[in-house]
Amino acid sequence: MFGNRDFIYLTDHCVNSDRLYSFVRFKVKNYGSCEATSGLTSSLAFTPEQMSVVTDSPVHSSNSDDFIAFLDAELGASSPESSPDKEAENEDELESVRIKRHKIESTEETEGSTSEGIMKQNLETSTKVDVCTHPGSFGSMCIRCGQQLDGKSGVTFGYIHKGLRLHDEEISRLRNTDMKSLLCRKKLYLVLDLDHTLLNSTLLAHLSSEESYLLNQTDSLRDISKGSLFKLDYMHMMTKLRPFVRSFLKEATEMFEMYIYTMGDRPYALEMAKLLDPQGEYFNAKVISRDDGTQKHQKGLDVVLGQESAVLILDDTEHAWVKHKDNLILMERYHFFASSCRQFGFNCKSLAELRNDEDETDGALAKILKVLKQVHCTFFDKHQEDDLINRDVRQVLSSVRSEVLSGCVIVFSRIFHGALPSLRKMAEQMGATCLAEVDPSVTHVVATDVGTEKSRWAVKENKFLVHPRWIEAANYFWEKQPEENFIIKKKQ
Amino acid sequence: MFFHIVLERNMQLHPRYFGRNLRDNLVSKLMKDVEGTCSGRHGFVVAVTGIENIGKGLIRDGTGFVTFPVKYQCVVFRPFKGEILEAVVTMVNKMGFFAEAGPVQIFVSNHLIPDDMEFQSGDMPNYTTSDGSVKIQKDSEVRLKIIGTRVDATEIFCIGTIKDDFLGVINDPATV
Repeated sequence: MFGNRDFIYLTDHCVNSDRLYSFVRFKVKNYGSCEATSGLTSSLAFTPEQMSVVTDSPVHSSNSDDFIAFLDAELGASSPESSPDKEAENEDELESVRIKRHKIESTEETEGSTSEGIMKQNLETSTKVDVCTHPGSFGSMCIRCGQQLDGKSGVTFGYIHKGLRLHDEEISRLRNTDMKSLLCRKKLYLVLDLDHTLLNSTLLAHLSSEESYLLNQTDSLRDISKGSLFKLDYMHMMTKLRPFVRSFLKEATEMFEMYIYTMGDRPYALEMAKLLDPQGEYFNAKVISRDDGTQKHQKGLDVVLGQESAVLILDDTEHAWVKHKDNLILMERYHFFASSCRQFGFNCKSLAELRNDEDETDGALAKILKVLKQVHCTFFDKHQEDDLINRDVRQVLSSVRSEVLSGCVIVFSRIFHGALPSLRKMAEQMGATCLAEVDPSVTHVVATDVGTEKSRWAVKENKFLVHPRWIEAANYFWEKQPEENFIIKKKQ
Repeated sequence: MFFHIVLERNMQLHPRYFGRNLRDNLVSKLMKDVEGTCSGRHGFVVAVTGIENIGKGLIRDGTGFVTFPVKYQCVVFRPFKGEILEAVVTMVNKMGFFAEAGPVQIFVSNHLIPDDMEFQSGDMPNYTTSDGSVKIQKDSEVRLKIIGTRVDATEIFCIGTIKDDFLGVINDPATV
C-alpha cells in the first residue's frame, strides 16, 4: 500500500520520468492494490500503456496540486501516448483502478524478463532516498531493513535473545514508549541483585562440618514454590532463599517491573531465577548476568530498557553501581552459609551454623518492601503538581531517605579517620545534621569509646551516646533504630 | 523453501565397522552426522532420503580409518529474502517478537509490526490491535515475510516483517 513515505521519494525522483514510471509500476505490481490509499496517492494512477494523473480528486491539498501539475507536465513531455484527460472523465475511480491492475498483471507476465531489471533499479533508488537508520541488529542484520551490518555497533542485549543489538536512539525510543505505558499501569522498574540480597548460595564443597545437617533438610525441586533451601547437584551448589522473598516478589510485582541483575554467570542466573520464579511470571526474559553487562565488574542501567528516572536498584554492593548510586537501595547482606561469611572476612558463626535464620516478618526484605511501598506511593501521589513523566524516582528516594534521621543533631567522637567521611555522608543523606563540636542542640554523640570528652559530655547532659553501627543500621533499615540497642560497651 | 538435492561428503569410518553391515553403518553414521546441521550454501539439512553412490574407500595411513566419498540425496531448508513463511512465536517483548520456523530463528521488530498493534506487557506479553481482535503472543502462529537472512555455521538468523497485506496471525492459541 502506498504510504506517505513512498510519496516523498516519488517527488525526489520525478525529474526522471522514466524511472518514476518504472518505480510506480513496480510498486503497483508489488502491492497489488491501489484501492484504499491516502487521498494523494489515489489520485495517481499509472498503467504501462498510458500514464495519467487524475486531477479532480477532492481530497488533495494545494501543495499536491502543484506536484500533480508538475508530474503531468513531465510525463506529458516524455511519453507521447499519455492522455491526461481520459482518466479524469472516469467517474468510477475504484473500478478503473481494478481494471488497470489486471492489465498491469497481464503485461507484467509478458514482460517477465524486464521487470526484474526494473525491480533492481527501484531497489537502488529507494535505498538511496529512504535511508534506514538501522535501529539495531539481529544476527548482524538490521532489524528494520534486513541489510547486512558489521555487527559491532550498539549495545548487546544477549539476555533477551542471542545476537540482538540495539542502538542508543532505539533504546531511548523504546524507553520513552515503555515509560508511558508503565506509568499508566502505575509501575516503576526494580532491578534486583541475587547473591546476598535475595538469596545465598554456596558450593557443596564449601559447606562447613556444622552445616552438613542441611544436606538432609533440602526441599524438593519438584515443588519449588514451597521450598527455600535447594541442593542443585549438577551445579554442585546449595542455595538458600532469603526469608520473606516469595511474599516480597509477589507484592513488588504489583508496583514494579522487575529485572534480575547479577554478577553471576548466565546459567547460574537463570537457575536462580527459576527458583525464585518457578512460574515465570516475574522475570520474563529480564535476567541480566555478568556476561550481558557492558563493563567488567560494574553493573549499569544501559542494558536495562527503562528510563533511569524510574528505576530503583536493590543491591548489597554499592561499588558495583558507581554511576547509579542515586537509584540504589543498599541491602544488608544475607549470609546464611559460612563460606559467604568468610568471603567477606567475618569470623562469626553463620546463620546456618547457629541453626538460625532472618526473621520472616521483620527481616531486611520486609523492611525494604515498606520503603519500596513508600517510594512508590510518593511517586504516584496525586497531590503533586508536576506531570508524572517529569517525576524522578531518585528525588523521591532521597527525600524518603532524608526523613530517616531528620531532627537528629550528631557529633562524632573518636571515629576512625577513614570511616568518618562516609559515616557523615550517610547521616546527612538521612537528614541528620552533623556538627564538629558539642552544643546544646546536639541530640546524639556517635563514638566508639565512652572515655572521650564528648562521650562524657553526652552522659552528663543526658544525650544519646551510640555506636556508629546505629547510623549504619538506620541506613539499611530506613528507620531510626532504638538507641538502647547500640550502647557502647566499656573497655575492660 | 525446501529443496531435494544431492550432496557429497567424505565419511571417515573406523575399521571396527567393516564387515557385512558396512554400508548400513556408513548410512547411519551419515544421518547422524549431517541431519540437523547447517551450511551457509544449502541451509539446514532436514533429512537424508537416499544414497546415490558410495565411492571407493581410501585407507588412511597410520590410523586405519577409511574415507568413503558418499553422494546422498537430502531435503534441505533454506529461507530466502522475500519468502513468505509460517512460524511459531517464541518470545514477545517491547522490541518486537521472535519466532521459529523449524530451526530458523526469525526476529520481527516493532518497526515491522503494523502501527495499529500495540505492545501490552504483563505475565503474557503480547501485541494487540486497538479493538483487541488480533493478538500476537507466545505460541501464536504467524505468517511473515523474510526481509533478510544470515546463515552461520550452525544457525540461520532471519529478519521478518508482518507489515504487509495478508501477513500476521493465522492461528491464535487463546482461541483454540
